[in-house]
Amino acid sequence: MPITSTAFARTTVLLLLAGALALFGIVAASLWLVERTNAYTEEVIAAQQTRAATSGLLTLMQYAETGQRGYLITQEAAYLEPYELARSRVPEQLGRLRALFAGHPAELATLDEIGGKVDAKMAELAESIALVQAGRTAEAVELVRTDRGKAVMDSLRDDLRELILRIDGGIRAAVDGTRSTADALSWAVILGALLIAALAGGSVWISFRYTRDLVAARQEVQELNFSLEERVADRTADLARANDEIQRFAYIVSHDLRAPLVNVMGFTSELEVCLATLQRYVETTEAAPSVEAEQAAEARLAAFEDLPEALRFIRSSTTRMDRLINAILKLSREGRRTLTAERIDMGAVLETAAASVQHQLQAGDGTITVEKPVPNIQSDRLAVEQVFGNLVDNAVKYLDPARPGRIVIRGREEGGRLVYEVEDNGRGIAPQDHERIFELFRRSGPQDRPGEGIGLAHVRTLARRLGGDVTVDSALGRGTIFRVILPRRADGPAARPVAAA
Amino acid sequence: MNAAAQAVTIIMVEDDEGHARLIEKNIRRAGVHNEIVPFTDGTSALEYLFGKDGSGQVSAGRGLLILLDLNLPDMTGVDILAKVKANPHTRRSPVVVLTTTDDQREIQRCYDLGANVYITKPVNYEAFANAIRQLGLFFAVMQVPEID
Repeated sequence: MPITSTAFARTTVLLLLAGALALFGIVAASLWLVERTNAYTEEVIAAQQTRAATSGLLTLMQYAETGQRGYLITQEAAYLEPYELARSRVPEQLGRLRALFAGHPAELATLDEIGGKVDAKMAELAESIALVQAGRTAEAVELVRTDRGKAVMDSLRDDLRELILRIDGGIRAAVDGTRSTADALSWAVILGALLIAALAGGSVWISFRYTRDLVAARQEVQELNFSLEERVADRTADLARANDEIQRFAYIVSHDLRAPLVNVMGFTSELEVCLATLQRYVETTEAAPSVEAEQAAEARLAAFEDLPEALRFIRSSTTRMDRLINAILKLSREGRRTLTAERIDMGAVLETAAASVQHQLQAGDGTITVEKPVPNIQSDRLAVEQVFGNLVDNAVKYLDPARPGRIVIRGREEGGRLVYEVEDNGRGIAPQDHERIFELFRRSGPQDRPGEGIGLAHVRTLARRLGGDVTVDSALGRGTIFRVILPRRADGPAARPVAAA
Repeated sequence: MNAAAQAVTIIMVEDDEGHARLIEKNIRRAGVHNEIVPFTDGTSALEYLFGKDGSGQVSAGRGLLILLDLNLPDMTGVDILAKVKANPHTRRSPVVVLTTTDDQREIQRCYDLGANVYITKPVNYEAFANAIRQLGLFFAVMQVPEID
């Protein structure tokens, strides 16, 4: 199914939107997961600090004990240094631990317990050192031997180790969390990438299909165009052929129709000759006494009325037929004549046409004028002369006897073509006859003027052969304007002979 | 050489019998009394002129004047004209082309082929009768060579 442009646009936009959403989702998920990773990392760092602080406390306590033991053995103040260091640092270390465990009430409770044990141990150490300093070393050793300090120290050590173990558990959990968020992040990225790839693939596929459809459609249009041109050329050739055939047909018909007509007319003449003989015979014999009066009257009727009447009809009809055939022949010859374009002084041509009817007009007080200047033309002289000769003759022939004739000829250029007008104030042409008058043997209005209905058909044939046309604009009883539209130069294909003779 | 052989025979090749009759009538009116042999098609006319063998030998001793129409049912008169003027026996016989065609190229072609006279049949009967009568008068004073 072909994709429509709207469907294509809609699908593409939807795919782009989905791609953007997927990208946004990936970014959001990544941000959130990175945030989580940060949180886990901070947790780990905090836990490690706690762990360090816790083991630091244990180390300090061991320092203190080590210092006490050394001093007890040697009674030298130098061995007290670790003890002094530890004693000064322990409260600080405890305070730090308390701060680190601020968010964990359970651990704070443990820390209180540890703090108690640290105080107890430190008190035991201080007591033994004070006894040594007082010179009561044996008492101090006795104090140690009570195992009171050792028990406190052991319990403290266990507590701290337990705490460290718990912290280590927390660290492991945080690391695990970090790892799982990293995994989730990679999955989100992979899934998002897959989704985006699928969407991109989809839109690429749709674009490809759409483009393919477009290309196919364009190809189809091109093919149609090409075949259209071919068809037009074919039709034109057909028309030219048909026109050719019509011309040839007209020529042959008119030509071959003349042959039998010669016979009809010839034998009519022969009959007339016979008739004359017959009439002489009737005249000489009708007076003879042997002929019955009735028979003589019948013979007279036949010889002087019936036969001449029949012959008259045959003759008038054949004469008319002869004129019609001659008209067709003339038109067909005109169609076969080769036209040659030359520069024509239209003013002179129109003046000549006007002058040829001048004497006819003068009888009825009429006038004919050529409104100069008129544009000159490059065309076939004889054809142009015949066109305007016919139009002027027509204008004179159909003037209204009720008013003096006024015939005006003018010309102008209009849109690259030349328009010549022959205007009269004659009897005019009824609207329904405006096209008919250009047909062969058709005439308009009362048939009271001589003519065969050839002139305008001839004019139109000529005008069209010259690459132009002739139109009429007329109102019954007011007058007529014939407009001859001709190309400035009659050198187009229309100026070529219609049929090769 | 007998008298019959010396008399000129008018060969009229005209497919329209009416025309043939009218032509004959008007030639007679001009006072021409020669024998007129009419043919309505080209084939029989050629057979008469050139014989069954087509050599033209058959026309030897004849004095012929050929009246030729160009529009024939079986061939064009131009073909007959060409054959007559190409044959050594008949080429000197005068040929009068009498036809309806007034096409300039056709007229030129006929004269090129050796036609002696070309007449376009007038459509108007008066003119037609007149033309034929004048042609008859022309025939009356014309010398026609005897075929070898």
